Amino acid sequence: MRHRILRNTALASGAVIFAAFGAAAEPFKWASATDPQTMDPHAVSSAPVLSFLNNIYEGLVRRGKDMSIEPSLATSWVPLEGENGWRFTLREGVTFQDGSAFNAEDVMFSYERASSEASDVRSWFAPVTEVRVVDDYTIEFVTSAPNPLFPDSIANFMILDKGWAEANDAALPARDAENFATMNVNGTGPFMVSSRDPGVKTVLTPFGGWWDEATHNVTEATFTPIGNAATGLAALLSGEIDFISPIPLQDVAQVEGRDGFKVLEGEETRVIMFGFGHEHDKLLYSSDVTDKNPFADPKVRLAAAQALDMASIDRVLFRGKIEAASQLVPAGISGYSEANADRPAYDPEAAKALLAEAGYPDGFSFGLKCTNDRYINDEALCRAAASMFAAVGLNAELSTGPVRDYWPQLREDDFDMYLLGWSPGTFDMEHPVRFLLHTQDDEKKLGSWNFGNYSNPRVDELLPLVQQEIDPAQRQAYLDEIVQITQDDVAYIPLYTQPLIWAAKENIDLTQRADDFFMLRWVTVN
Amino acid sequence: MVYFILKRLVQSVFVMLAVAFLAFALFRFVGDPVSQMTGVETSVQDQEKLREELGLNDPFAVQFYRFTTDMLRGDFGFSYRTRQPVAQMISARIPATLELGFVALLISLIVGIPAGVYTALRPRGVTSQTILMVTLVGVSIPTFVIGIMLIFYFGVKLGWLPTFGRGGTVNVAGWETSFLTVEGWRSLILPALTLGVYQLTLTMRLVRAEMMEVMRSDYIRFATARGVPMGRLYFRHALSNTLVPVITIIGLQFGGVIAFSIVTESVFQWPGLGLLFLESIRFVDIPVMGVYLVVIALFFVIVNMVVDLLYVAIDPRLRVRDAT
Repeated sequence: MRHRILRNTALASGAVIFAAFGAAAEPFKWASATDPQTMDPHAVSSAPVLSFLNNIYEGLVRRGKDMSIEPSLATSWVPLEGENGWRFTLREGVTFQDGSAFNAEDVMFSYERASSEASDVRSWFAPVTEVRVVDDYTIEFVTSAPNPLFPDSIANFMILDKGWAEANDAALPARDAENFATMNVNGTGPFMVSSRDPGVKTVLTPFGGWWDEATHNVTEATFTPIGNAATGLAALLSGEIDFISPIPLQDVAQVEGRDGFKVLEGEETRVIMFGFGHEHDKLLYSSDVTDKNPFADPKVRLAAAQALDMASIDRVLFRGKIEAASQLVPAGISGYSEANADRPAYDPEAAKALLAEAGYPDGFSFGLKCTNDRYINDEALCRAAASMFAAVGLNAELSTGPVRDYWPQLREDDFDMYLLGWSPGTFDMEHPVRFLLHTQDDEKKLGSWNFGNYSNPRVDELLPLVQQEIDPAQRQAYLDEIVQITQDDVAYIPLYTQPLIWAAKENIDLTQRADDFFMLRWVTVN
Repeated sequence: MVYFILKRLVQSVFVMLAVAFLAFALFRFVGDPVSQMTGVETSVQDQEKLREELGLNDPFAVQFYRFTTDMLRGDFGFSYRTRQPVAQMISARIPATLELGFVALLISLIVGIPAGVYTALRPRGVTSQTILMVTLVGVSIPTFVIGIMLIFYFGVKLGWLPTFGRGGTVNVAGWETSFLTVEGWRSLILPALTLGVYQLTLTMRLVRAEMMEVMRSDYIRFATARGVPMGRLYFRHALSNTLVPVITIIGLQFGGVIAFSIVTESVFQWPGLGLLFLESIRFVDIPVMGVYLVVIALFFVIVNMVVDLLYVAIDPRLRVRDAT
């Protein structure tokens, strides 16, 4: 089942010939744990898909190496005058990989496609009430309220060619069954797919007609998914691949100890935290306290936070590679509250005193739910945390399981305390406030990952203010207040920012972006 | 003979139905496909709508009925993970698994039978004892450890053989084969050894035990007394009489090799059915899991049938009975 995209071959071979005259042009092979499920940029909103397709398709804006927003298919954008929304001026002279020209009709079409019922990325367009094509290179997005972050929030909104999609019967994302766009691509980006065998191998070649100047020197890039971590490491060390992401922490020493290989370490934007069943009226997994929920008391939640020795967890489980977290986003993300950068100090004595004050001098037992295949060292982390909790009298009955089973359990309130990792999709503090801190509200689609239903009326009041505030200082003041409130309430126990650990051959230069996306256009093979 | 095959095929339908039923009964405990199919920002209502669309809210009986009737009509459905037709995904992966299983079987027979004969004839020899020891060790170590050890020795340390994947494949009439390129064969060696080592040990020990038994029997003694040449005695008279049980076990094992090459395929990133099944479990890809299990059941039935037919070919007594 090898699909070759013949139409692209002519362009691809042109690019290869061109590149062959360059002095240092090289093929490049890389591996990652998961194959992108689809080549359709609107069908599945998962990191493997969006990361991969960002090499092929482009949005109106894109993120730079430091995650900042920069012009891509739009050259500039300004707020609309007299109404809420944004006007984007589009880049002229851009062509799709099949040679057809890019203009505002394609953006309009892509908007309709991405906001359709069958799309998995339609939540990005929830604030949008109307889209207007002004002329061939100007398009306006009208929003229901002021939305200063709208351009940032659509960095992964990828533009398809209207003519191509309609001609190939792919005007809607393939939700239930495949369509042409599941296997075939036609973007404006730096790479195009020359062959794809799902789950086995995908070969990309540079797009010679890309509007931007290519800074990479890759002539052909081959991607192989390798699910087994040991196999992936062996493939790197035997030289069959040039780069792999991620590698397990325990293999770091193996790679560093060998000549010709290097480990790339960075910080992801994902914050790992414990959450509580705030609205539960009793514990589900306790053997001693069965008539009430001690975690409803902020003192008990604070005691739990003080029981955790992050320095030891860092040293023992993570080889010193994690950064302790004070709030739901790491420092450096927009909206991060500098004013509230301290997390509760490790203090088991104070924790015991707080428990006694709350009426549990001998502690109590409860159930702690964790994943065992979702985050780095997640199971080990929970074991360590359980023993630290036990030291102050909080006896955690730990149960761990694969992630495929995990979210449904949390949705059904089947926990006393649980583990969660959150990466802010928009790279802004507003994102976790919307999903994790706002009271659950299915109508307004808010608080959808706030499993324990933490609820504070002031936080709910502040969220729309944050979303609509144009003045950065005022906006930050609102966010500072939210962080302050949720820290005082101990809504969650933020633990640390998850590290990003990749490995490559010594002669590969690449950029490790904090969203764990891998961009081929920043690869240099020396 | 035709009647026999037909009867087997009818039986196989029931076997597959039973497997499908059991598989379906288990799927509800595997996890929630919808939370795997959608991104984090997808609203709860949209998830619920998708669940409804996929028919996941229907009672078990309805889902099972739909699955079996669709299958009988030849409609295998679409993967939740890739949205591709399941029939296409499964059939694309079959060559990889069959070729791997076939080479593993070949290795186990080519090495296992002579080694079994040898160790039976010289049970106390140093070589025999060494062979027995080594294979015992080989069979006691879990498959994935053997695989990783082979990868790190031959792939990473010596750099002789590829560590993952199928290498070069050639498409012959829709069948992706590794057999026609050097790179393909190089890629086959390590996974086939890993998968075959258990089979090899089993074959060898079985041949050895049967052979020792036969060698004690009267007709071998008479043949020896009659002065039948040793080579002819061992291989024509003795070995062929050991083959019926050996074929039974090997045949049944071959079904297992194909069905449970999951571990080997995962360690070598071998793009076969087993790897597909593993990926499908991770994503709770129910349509693929269902079809995979039914296909494997069919495969077992076919292997059993072939084994029965081979008996007839090997044992003349069965042929006589069939003729009457």
